[in-house]
Amino acid sequence: MLRDGRAIRQALLILVSALIPAGLTAAFHPQRPAWTEETLAPGEERLPTVLAWGESVLWVDARSADEYRADHVPGAILLNLESWDELLPNFLDQWSPDKKVVVYCSAATCELSHEVAERLRKSGITSVFVLKGGWEAWKTRK
Amino acid sequence: MGGVEDQKMTGGVTRPGWPRVANIIRTVVRIALGGLFVFAGATKAYDPGAFAVEIQRYNLIPWLPGALAAVYLPWLEILVGALLVVKRFDRGALMLITCLLLVFSFALASATVRGLGIDCGCFGKAFAATGTVFPLVRNLLLLAGAGFLWRGYR
Repeated sequence: MLRDGRAIRQALLILVSALIPAGLTAAFHPQRPAWTEETLAPGEERLPTVLAWGESVLWVDARSADEYRADHVPGAILLNLESWDELLPNFLDQWSPDKKVVVYCSAATCELSHEVAERLRKSGITSVFVLKGGWEAWKTRK
Repeated sequence: MGGVEDQKMTGGVTRPGWPRVANIIRTVVRIALGGLFVFAGATKAYDPGAFAVEIQRYNLIPWLPGALAAVYLPWLEILVGALLVVKRFDRGALMLITCLLLVFSFALASATVRGLGIDCGCFGKAFAATGTVFPLVRNLLLLAGAGFLWRGYR
């Protein structure tokens, strides 16, 4: 195969030809990738990574009870700073050491999820992450 | 259909219909392999941003080369697949398909060995939860198909 000069010439031509649609994709495709990777804050994870964890994820919704009632990630537990003491027992009932806890809040006020995650860590819960982009990232997932 | 050629292919035992059957099989394999590459490329060209994330999950190359591969590879797959189907520049297309299958197989084997627990991402979002073992076996079968096609070019 590698000594087939005709095949090599054809392959080179094909490799160069593919640059044309690839260049157009890079310039104009609405879903083209970002050229620089968004950096993650410590303890943050991107949605695709979290989704790859599958069943081992325990979602925690750090938004208000009203926002939670309106809509939330399927299976998510409400746990916010306003009602921490009331909501914590329900969280502890569903948590187990093999679970990865992923906290989210709405994108605009996502400091809340970091605070909830930090409080969980201080309570001795390991494997606590914050969802990069929060609820907005979940809603706009493809 | 020469008898000498038949004898060469069957180790001296003449099977008069074999070259014709082999040609039919070769045509089927060529169209199936090419068609699969067109499909695989199209599913990824539809959403190159998601494909870049899939590449990143293999943890083999930095983000920027992965993002560039995410916009280039789908079109290369479409091109080589289509050329193999229509039998134009098919030697070059088959050479590239073989190389791509080898690279993809290496990536899948590496992800399997490292226990990454990721999905192949071979067909964009067309097939979810594929893991890496089944796609690796499938790739090896496709490589066997490509090898069979190479024999026809000798």
